[in-house]
Amino acid sequence: MKNIIIISLVTYLSAGPLFAESTVKSCNRTVTFEKPPERAVSNDVNLTEMMLVLGLADQMVGYTGISGWKTLDAEMRLGVKELPELSAKYPTKEVLVGADADFFFAGWNYGMKVGGEVTPETLKPFGIKVYELTESCSHIMDKQKASLEDMYNDILNLGKIFEVEDRAKALVANYKSELESFKANLKNTDERLRVFVYDSGEDAPFTAGRYAMPTALVEVSGGQNIMDDFYKSWGTVTWEEVVDRDPQVVVIVNYGDVTAEQKREYMMSNPAFKNISAIKNNRFVTLEYVEATPGPRNIKAVKKLADAFWAK
Amino acid sequence: MTTRSLVVICGLLLLLISLSLAVSVGAVPVSTGTVWGILSNKVYPGLIEQTWSSGREAIVWEIRLPRALLAIMVGSGLAIVGASLQAVTRNTLADPHLLGISSGGAFGAILALLHTGMFIGLLTVPLLAFAGALLATIVVLGVVQLAEANSADRLVLAGVAVSFIIMAAANILIFLGDPRASHTVVFWMLGGLGLAQWSQLVYPLTILILCGAWLISRAKNLNAMTVGDETAATLGISVARFRLAVFIIGALITGVMVAFSGIIGFVGLMVPHIARMLVGGDYTRVLLASALIGAIFLLWADILARTLMAPEDMPIGIVTGLIGGVFFIWLLRRRR
Repeated sequence: MKNIIIISLVTYLSAGPLFAESTVKSCNRTVTFEKPPERAVSNDVNLTEMMLVLGLADQMVGYTGISGWKTLDAEMRLGVKELPELSAKYPTKEVLVGADADFFFAGWNYGMKVGGEVTPETLKPFGIKVYELTESCSHIMDKQKASLEDMYNDILNLGKIFEVEDRAKALVANYKSELESFKANLKNTDERLRVFVYDSGEDAPFTAGRYAMPTALVEVSGGQNIMDDFYKSWGTVTWEEVVDRDPQVVVIVNYGDVTAEQKREYMMSNPAFKNISAIKNNRFVTLEYVEATPGPRNIKAVKKLADAFWAK
Repeated sequence: MTTRSLVVICGLLLLLISLSLAVSVGAVPVSTGTVWGILSNKVYPGLIEQTWSSGREAIVWEIRLPRALLAIMVGSGLAIVGASLQAVTRNTLADPHLLGISSGGAFGAILALLHTGMFIGLLTVPLLAFAGALLATIVVLGVVQLAEANSADRLVLAGVAVSFIIMAAANILIFLGDPRASHTVVFWMLGGLGLAQWSQLVYPLTILILCGAWLISRAKNLNAMTVGDETAATLGISVARFRLAVFIIGALITGVMVAFSGIIGFVGLMVPHIARMLVGGDYTRVLLASALIGAIFLLWADILARTLMAPEDMPIGIVTGLIGGVFFIWLLRRRR
């Protein structure tokens, strides 16, 4: 009799962690998961890649918002081979509910629009939980300047949600040590290169501001985004300001139909820019969209930038 | 059975068919059998054995049906307002969006989408949009008082002037807002029924029934107004007062519809023309026909918006705009 009681108690106590719920903070909401999602959907290349590096492809039913705007590169194509693209652009409620999804990993202007059809509130009645990309929280609340911590935060939170915390922590520790050893080799100088991030736009440039990931990437590589006092995430500024702040390097974000080469051509050929240091010295570096937005490729992006900034 | 009742029955049947089609088609294929099973079970629980997933049920009942019902309400609401305004302004190009109300709605919505955020939850955008529409109505009334613009033409001018000013203010809000979120505004402005949900349908329904009933009860006055101000006055109608009353009632309907579905153009403009061609000039018939035709038209526009580029959801304003433009060309040819 005593044995039965002890065995039942032990079984009950050891079963405890199996029923543990995880709670994460998503922008200004707290989300609780009784168990890890089994039918997850992610939107956009960088968020989907975060899911893939954590090995979560088996718990996904598809992804959205990729072929509508950007081309998948070879590495990503392999990762998502088995998964269907549910929608080329942002998904509608019907698409998500039709896939019987129980989890949506997206961000503001990364799959969801403020006041739009798909938001955490509108998906709640259908039992679809949402985790929002940290970098995008600046659209709905006050947020600190962008940093790589935002990306680490997302990976760790995904680890908590899907109960792969060890994997997540290992990944983040790996990224951090890679960066540390890499920073140690970086030229030790107080001088920061002035950098302009050129996403798109000819009559007025669309650039990354204070709350967008490229600002953080540029800083870690030893530069400074000339627009880091632009209190927006991504936004349109004027060419006048760019000329005035005289960047020494231009970082082009590559995606979509207009090639990086065409963007570089535009800046090189426009007579208004001929006195900008970056143009005079032909200093351009290209980042792929998936490297410039929060995700696992940010580490590679930092190295790419630093090589370009400090190449002898 | 008279021809008239036959026509009415045909119209209602067409509405019912359109409604069931709207609920059956969409980005996610749901078989007709499943659709009717889901609907029957909602009316008589347990009637049909459930062979579908809860996801399918949610799509039909929580997404498509409220959307179709909203299409019916917005279509008939905008059409009735268009018909009434065309009568009191004696201007066949009058349309609910002409007189500044929709610009006010846009202003309120943009304020909510780009600047204040969803501080009252999901009703924030409709509430601020409706408040904007009411504000615009008050401004137009003020201008009418100030400029003593009581005649039909001058009312239209006052409305157009206010519309431009408020749209400029709304555009400043867009300019000052987050550029990356500006396509949220574009989508709202082009109109869409994607935000429809059961809990919010009660607002457009109430206003449509109350204000629609008022307009239909005044059909005789509208008939008189179409002939001329003097004729109407000799029939005992206080012309200026009635015109403003119709404007205000129309503003209420337009405001609530714009609040929940954005700016859907051409319905209020085209449908009364079609109604008049089918049933003649008597406004009781014109109003009822406009409501029916408007509802069917918008149901079909929504079906097209959801299926032409599935699984993408095209803004419905694109579909109505395209059809509207073609309709006008046809109208021009006919007048010759």
